[in-house]
Amino acid sequence: MSIVPKETIEVIAQSIGITNLSPEAALMLAPDVEYRVREIMQEAIKCMRHSKRTTLTASDVDGALNLRNLEPIYGFASGGPIRFRKAIGHRDLFYTDDREVDFKDVIEAPLPKAPLDTDIVCHWLAIEGVQPAIPENAPLEVIRAPAENQIYQQKDGPLIDIRLPVKHVLSKELQLYFQKIAELTMSKSNPSLFKEALVSLASDSGLHPLVPYFTNFVADEVSRGLNDFLLLSNLMHVVRSLLQNPHIHIEPYLHQLMPSVVTCLVSRKLGNRFADNHWELRDFTANLVALICKRFGNTYITLQSRLTKTLVNALLDPKKALTQHYGAIQGLAALGHNVVRLLVLPNLEPYLSLLEPELDAEKQKNQMKSYEAWRVYGALLRAAGLCIHDRLKIFPYLPSPSPSFLNKGKGKIISTEPNKRKLSVDSSSAMQVDKPMGDDNPPQNSVQPSSSGQASDGNAPESRNAKEKEGSKGRAITMKAILDQVWKNDLDSGRLLVKLHQLYGDRILPFIPSTEMSLFL
Amino acid sequence: MDPEQLDEFVMGYLKKKGFNGAAKQLQEALHNNNNNNGTGSSSSFNSTDYHNDPELTKLIRSFSQSENDPTRYRNGYSNLRSWAYNSLDLYKHELLRVMYPVFIHCYMDLVGKGHTQEARAFFNSFRKDHEMIHLRDLQKLEGVLVPSHLEEMEFARSLRQSKVNIKICQYSYDLLLQYLHRTESTLMLGIINEHINFQVYSGQPNSSSDDIDAVTIVGSFQETADHVNQKEIQWGLLEDSLEDRLEKTGSLLTDSEKGQGESKDGDVDDSNKKRSTEIGKQGSSLKKLKKDKAGNATAKVARQETSTVSPAPRVKSELALPVMSTDVEESILEDLRNRVQLSSVAMPSVSFYTFVNTHNGLNCASISHDGSLVAGGFSDSSIKVWDMAKIGQAGSGTLQGESDTNDQVAGPNGRRNYTLLLGHSGPVYSATFSPPGDFLLSSSADTTIRLWSTQLNANLVCYKGHNYPVWDVQFSPFGHYFASCSHDRTARIWSMDRVQPLRIMAGHLSDVDCVQWHPNCNYIATGSSDKTVRLWDVQTGECVRIFIGHRSMVLSLAMSPDGRYMASGDEDGTIMMWDLSTARCITPLMGHNSCVWSLSYSGEGSLLASGSADCTVKLWDVTSSTKLTKAEEKNGNSNRLRSLRTFPTKSTPVHALRFSRRNLLFAAGALSKPTS
Repeated sequence: MSIVPKETIEVIAQSIGITNLSPEAALMLAPDVEYRVREIMQEAIKCMRHSKRTTLTASDVDGALNLRNLEPIYGFASGGPIRFRKAIGHRDLFYTDDREVDFKDVIEAPLPKAPLDTDIVCHWLAIEGVQPAIPENAPLEVIRAPAENQIYQQKDGPLIDIRLPVKHVLSKELQLYFQKIAELTMSKSNPSLFKEALVSLASDSGLHPLVPYFTNFVADEVSRGLNDFLLLSNLMHVVRSLLQNPHIHIEPYLHQLMPSVVTCLVSRKLGNRFADNHWELRDFTANLVALICKRFGNTYITLQSRLTKTLVNALLDPKKALTQHYGAIQGLAALGHNVVRLLVLPNLEPYLSLLEPELDAEKQKNQMKSYEAWRVYGALLRAAGLCIHDRLKIFPYLPSPSPSFLNKGKGKIISTEPNKRKLSVDSSSAMQVDKPMGDDNPPQNSVQPSSSGQASDGNAPESRNAKEKEGSKGRAITMKAILDQVWKNDLDSGRLLVKLHQLYGDRILPFIPSTEMSLFL
Repeated sequence: MDPEQLDEFVMGYLKKKGFNGAAKQLQEALHNNNNNNGTGSSSSFNSTDYHNDPELTKLIRSFSQSENDPTRYRNGYSNLRSWAYNSLDLYKHELLRVMYPVFIHCYMDLVGKGHTQEARAFFNSFRKDHEMIHLRDLQKLEGVLVPSHLEEMEFARSLRQSKVNIKICQYSYDLLLQYLHRTESTLMLGIINEHINFQVYSGQPNSSSDDIDAVTIVGSFQETADHVNQKEIQWGLLEDSLEDRLEKTGSLLTDSEKGQGESKDGDVDDSNKKRSTEIGKQGSSLKKLKKDKAGNATAKVARQETSTVSPAPRVKSELALPVMSTDVEESILEDLRNRVQLSSVAMPSVSFYTFVNTHNGLNCASISHDGSLVAGGFSDSSIKVWDMAKIGQAGSGTLQGESDTNDQVAGPNGRRNYTLLLGHSGPVYSATFSPPGDFLLSSSADTTIRLWSTQLNANLVCYKGHNYPVWDVQFSPFGHYFASCSHDRTARIWSMDRVQPLRIMAGHLSDVDCVQWHPNCNYIATGSSDKTVRLWDVQTGECVRIFIGHRSMVLSLAMSPDGRYMASGDEDGTIMMWDLSTARCITPLMGHNSCVWSLSYSGEGSLLASGSADCTVKLWDVTSSTKLTKAEEKNGNSNRLRSLRTFPTKSTPVHALRFSRRNLLFAAGALSKPTS
């Protein structure tokens, strides 16, 4: 019933010398005690409010007792709040911590310092509505929070103008650092030093104030220097380092950074010289894009969808240059196998038919064009192949011929590679998915451009392709049967494989995991 | 049911209810009946009739069997509650509004019948439902445990005696009655009939949010409030006020101003210098005031334009007002001429006086009209007055230190640089400067009000009249008269030359916590712990307006300079803007999250400043709100008053605010070290 238990009443009664209090009387008194306590507290709270305080003190209670014409409780008039302690062994029993003090200690103690006298200090809380940044005012962080509220409120009231006392101070050292990095990026004369700079960018912890300047710098230079291959490459390396730096919070600047990065991926022309290996730059940038998507895709859900939309548009537009197609394919491929499966593979067939005339050296006289077409073809093959590889990998291992075969699965692939390479010029080493992209390009470069007889080289796969198309028809039926039998629950990927095989012929085979391959061959 | 048993029940019921006469008659009738039965007469169709009616029997049985059964309340209420919660969404909020009065009356019935334990259990199991809106009432009621408390406690008594008015649409009303009849919950029906006064209206139910009645439950109150609020009030400004005179002279001056430009500028510069020393920070304030001056020319023009648009009506003063000396008048006119025009885009400057080393003892702070004098009332009964002009002359060294103040230039009282006024014998709860700054009034827990001269630094008069601590005292806008309010639930009007109060305003149901004068001196407003604000006619002493809507005690009041609006701030941090003539809340201002200690309107009434225990000063755009209300009256319940700025202090709750006549905002508070 009452929150004051009967026992409390009994204890209080004993403490003031009433020993013969009957339990019934205690029970009757308890609710009244509670009511009186509440009444006193209500008055005490009034006293507290009128003393312009938000903490109740003992003096407020005394004031309340005075209001009720009661004797105040003496002995609690200390300034600070009373410290209560829990009685050991009791959950709800408290006592005030009242230390015994030796008189001798009190007398011998040095006089305490006299309390300081009350005084008034005056300062400007605001000057024409703006808080000056002086030590008397609350520090800036505190100001900023309400400032945001004001911005929020501004939406419904257009009249408010906001003048924030925010001043951005960049230390001399940081300014120097920024200048140096910018110089290095622009000059391209000292690759080793630039590498060091990149390491510093990727690891230094104090660079956060510079991030807006760097993003600005990158955006400016990319838009200005599309003809300067080396500069673009350097800039992308800078971006990568910034992304790698764990101390930098780059998120707010992504929107500024993304356009320049995507430009380096799908621009028609990167660099103006023939020797510029813009393929490499595109590959690098594709990885960069994938890195960004992986890191910030969760926070910005629209990021990846917007990006893929841009890339797919670039890919499917036949008016765009092949270089752009290449960039788009690489970008999509870097975004993961699902992206490739969903967005590239459905368009594969029409696209390849579009590409075929370009591949044909006889029809396409422009060697450069033909070369580009082969690059695109290679990129597509690789993307599709990796995708199907991934697809096949997720299926449980089948009853394979022998466990030993299973164990050396990986080695088997590698060992088969040299055989395949003569068939498929393309990046077979990309089987090791982890390997950076840059590595699988050199073989391409070395193989294709160096082969002077491009016509024959181009012809050979074409004719072989045709030949195999006929041959594989019969094989495809058997293969389909096997596939149906093996992957009953995923006809889809079986069909995919068949389709890919139709399109690419044997060149797709290196991408099929060895265990499965053993079923084919 | 055995007829004899039934008769017994009826008899018992009648006796219990105190209908002794009826009981006797019944007994006689029964006696006769028995005799008749014995003689075989058939005249007793009456009794057989009610014995055979099953409905009636059931009813009577329900009355008799469980008259004292406390679980009936619980069951009845919980059934009603679950029914209300499951009712149609459209009508739910109206039905839920019925729940609170039923709840508290069930509780009080239980207490009244002595079922303390059941009452507490009942209260605890359902209090959650009502905590959001009625938390403070619940806290009060929670302590009521014994029947005698119901008598003793003002709040409970007024609840018991009055009926709650609930506006409810026709359909909700029908629903409720249907439910009560269908379930035969006579107990609930009884409570509802006894304590709720339904105001049934036809049409669709109102939206729940803007219903004030939902907040205040004291029903008789609402009626008197409605009644009182019918009275006519003259909220206009006084005839021939200084502002008026300024308008006139101002319009005369504009022509000749160009010619006199030189000399006038000189004057202004002089006054600027004077002011700068007053403020106490020479460098910055001088600069600031130069700016003020620059803005003045345009401001003046703007003022003339606006003043012609909507002149407030003029009224005659009903008090004999003191004659103002020409010096004072001149300086006020000078100030008004130099007033900075403020608006939502032209913010004021805020000068903050921070009390340091108060050791938690500062109870109140007050700033004189020109900002040059600052007074603090302390819990050790002392009053300390700082003359900021002198401190300003002494140099700005004091601004830096919290510790080295004693080394500063010796004031009139030895080494202190403030004037210590001793006289009270209890905590000083309020202080106020007379408009020219020559007098200071203070009120204290020792039930007295004291008048001090700031020139003589001495106590002149002690006004005794209140019986309990005097919470607040305020000088009238023209001086001489002052109003005080106290824990004894009265507000009183005094004049400086009488030691007895001139008027006593009684009517609040709890402490009167704050008081404020209307600019035309004919009215005072009081805010109280009963969560209402009242407006009183000074001449008649009558209550002319009751403003209901706050959810906790009212701590601060401010009147707009045009006399049309009033702002009140409460313990929860809500500020309400009231239209005086309609007694309606224009809009609540939400933003503070702790007690609003102080409110102040800017000189021309376009901005409202509020100071709170949450260590901020907020500025609110008042003009937009009032304009918008008229336009949006039909469609809008959006938050129309806009918070323009928030100025956080380091850790200083803002105790006092004042716009000077030139629209410089002064604020004061005691630095409270964060408890680490």
